[in-house]
Amino acid sequence: MSVSANPNTAKVSLRAFLAKYSVLIAFAAIVIFFAVASPTFLTPANLFNVLVNNVVMLAIVALGLTIVISSGGIDLSVGVSVDMASMVFVMLLAAGYSGVVGVGGGLGAALIVGILNAILITRLNISPFLATLGVLFIGQSTQQLATSGGQPIYLTSGYASDQFKAIARTALFGVPTPVIVLVILAIAVHVLLHRSVFGRYVQAMGAQPGVAWYSGIRVPRELSMVHVLCALLAGVTGILLSATVKSYVPLSGNAFLLDAIGATFIGTTLSRERKPSVIGTLLGVLLLAIVKNGLLLVGWNFYWQQVGIGVLVFLVLAVSFGLRRATH
Amino acid sequence: MSATILHAEAGASDEARATGKSAGRRFATLVVRLGAIAAFAAIMAYFVVFAPGFTSTFNLINVVEQSAILGVLAYGMTSVIIGGGSDVTEGGIDLSIAANMGLCAAVYATLLSMGYGDFLSVLAAITVGMAVGALNALAVVGLGILPLLATLAVLNVAAGMELTLTQNTVVGASSPLLAFLVSGSFLGISALAWALIVFSATIIAIIHGTAFGLRLYAVGGHPEAARAAGLSVPFYVSFTYVLSGFCAAVASILTVSRLSASTPGSGELLLSVLAAALLGTVFSRRFVPTMGGTLLSVLFIGLLANGFQLLNVSSYWVNGVQGALILLVVAITSFARGSESSR
Repeated sequence: MSVSANPNTAKVSLRAFLAKYSVLIAFAAIVIFFAVASPTFLTPANLFNVLVNNVVMLAIVALGLTIVISSGGIDLSVGVSVDMASMVFVMLLAAGYSGVVGVGGGLGAALIVGILNAILITRLNISPFLATLGVLFIGQSTQQLATSGGQPIYLTSGYASDQFKAIARTALFGVPTPVIVLVILAIAVHVLLHRSVFGRYVQAMGAQPGVAWYSGIRVPRELSMVHVLCALLAGVTGILLSATVKSYVPLSGNAFLLDAIGATFIGTTLSRERKPSVIGTLLGVLLLAIVKNGLLLVGWNFYWQQVGIGVLVFLVLAVSFGLRRATH
Repeated sequence: MSATILHAEAGASDEARATGKSAGRRFATLVVRLGAIAAFAAIMAYFVVFAPGFTSTFNLINVVEQSAILGVLAYGMTSVIIGGGSDVTEGGIDLSIAANMGLCAAVYATLLSMGYGDFLSVLAAITVGMAVGALNALAVVGLGILPLLATLAVLNVAAGMELTLTQNTVVGASSPLLAFLVSGSFLGISALAWALIVFSATIIAIIHGTAFGLRLYAVGGHPEAARAAGLSVPFYVSFTYVLSGFCAAVASILTVSRLSASTPGSGELLLSVLAAALLGTVFSRRFVPTMGGTLLSVLFIGLLANGFQLLNVSSYWVNGVQGALILLVVAITSFARGSESSR
C-alpha cells in the first residue's frame, strides 16, 4: 500500500517533523507554561514591554548576523558597530546638532566599522573570525580613549534630544516606532536574503565558497556588502538604544553579541540544511526574550534566569540536533 | 591532436611554473614566519631599549606570572581547536571556558571560606571544571550540536551558576596552597610562574610528543580519514572538551591565588583567550594551532601589556594595539597562505 502505512517510515517522518519544528513546539510550550504560571505574562502590557525592551534591538543585530552567517562568516564586532553608532549619535546631539545629522553620523560610524571589516576580510584575506575579533579590540580601545576610560555620556534635555526621545516613545497606529523599524528591516532583509540575486549569491558563498567563486560570483564584492549591511543594522540598534536610554554607555554593545549569535543559530534548526533564515532568527530572538521575561515574572532572580536560559537553549538544541541525527 | 600537444605543453610549463612557484612559495612562507617572529622581536627590542626595567628578572617573572592564567586557558582552547578543526562556524571552539573558570573559582573560594581544606576544595573545583567540559562533550559529540552553539548555551549555564553561588560578590579566600602560590619560590622563580612553566611543559609533551597528540591532530584535520584509520573520533573530541574544562579549573585556582578571592567578571577573558589561541597559529610552520605557538602568543600579549605599562602609555591603548597587531600578523600570514593555496 502507500509508504506511510509502513510504521517504520511513519516513525521516521514523525521524528523528522519533531526535529524540524522542535523550536516552534518548545516556543509554544514555553508560552503556555508561563501563561499558566504567571497571570501577568499574557497581558498586552507585558507583551508590549517584552517586544520593545527585549526583542527589537537584539533582533536588529541578529538580522545583520543572519546575513553574515548565511555567507559562511561571522562578525564578532557587531557590539562595536552598536557602540560606535551610539557614541557618535549621542556626541553629535550633545553638541547641539539636529537629529538628522545625529542619525547620519551614527550610521556613518557603523559604516566605517563595516568597511574596515570588509577590507580586512576581502582585501587582506584575514578569516572573518580573526578580522572581526581584531576590530572588536580596536573598537574597545577607541571607545575608552574617546570617553576617558568609559565615562557614559548623558543627553540632557534640549531640542534634538527631546526630538529623539520621541523615537523611542511615539507610536504609529498604536505600534511603537522601534517595532515598526524592526518590521521594515526584517522584511527588507528577508527579501534581500531569500528573494534576491544578492541573497542567492550569499547563500552560495555560505554553502560552497569555491564553487561560488568558480561560477563567477564576485565573492569579494558580495562579501564586503554582507559585512557593511551587518554593521549598518547594528548601527540602527545603537541609535535606537541611545534614543531609548538617552545616553551612551561605552562597551555596552557587546552584550548583544552572544545572544544574537545564539538566536541566529537557534533559527537554523528550522531548516533541514541548517541554513540561517530571517524567520528562524526572529523566532530565536523571541524565544530568548520570552524565557527571560517569563522567568522574571515567575519570580526567579536575575542570576537564576541566566542558568534557566542556558539550560533551556541547551535542551531545545539537544532535541533538535539529536532527533535530526536519529533520522539520518 | 594539436589540442593534445597544446595541453601537454601547457602541462609541462605548468609543471615548470609550479616548481619555480613552489620555491617562491616556500620562500614567501619562510619570510612570513620569520616576519611574524621579527615583528615580535622588533617590538621587544623597542621595549628593551626604551621601557625602563623591562629586562629586569623581576619584571620578566612578573610577566610570566601575569600570563599564567591566560596561558592555561589558552591551552584548553587550543586543544579544542586542534581536535575539532579550525572552521569558523563548524570547527571546535569552547566559548564556555572563561565562564567555567569563573564558576570553578567561585566553587573553590566558597568551599575554602566555608572551612573546607585545600584538598577537598581543589578536588571540587577540578570536578566542576571537568563536569562542565563533559557537558560540552556530551552536547557536541553525543548530540551533534554545533560547538559554537553548544558551548554558548553552557557558557550561560556556567556564568549563571557562578552568579547564583556568589550573588555577584567577591568571595575572599585564603589557604596554605594559595599562600604558597603567591609567595613561594624556587630557584628565584615564583610558584605562580612555575605553575605556567610546568603546565606548559606537560601539555606540550602530551600534544606534541606522543602518538596520542598526533592522532588528535589527525582527528581535527580530517575526521573521515581518522575514522577510516580506526581512530575513535568521538573519544578524541570529547577528550579535548574535558581537557578544556580541566584547564579552566587549574586557571581558576591561579586566579583565586592572584586576587586572594573569586571575583565576578571572569567571562571578559574569553576574547583574549580566543585571540591567544588563534594568534598562536602564526608561529607554526603550517599555520595550524600548536601549544608552543599559543605559549608564544600568550607571552607576547603579556609582554605587550607590560611594556606599555612601563612606558606609561595609557592602558586604554593596549586593547587597540593588541587588536591591530593581531590583524597585522594575520594579514601577513594569510598573504603567505594565499600564495600557498593559489597554486
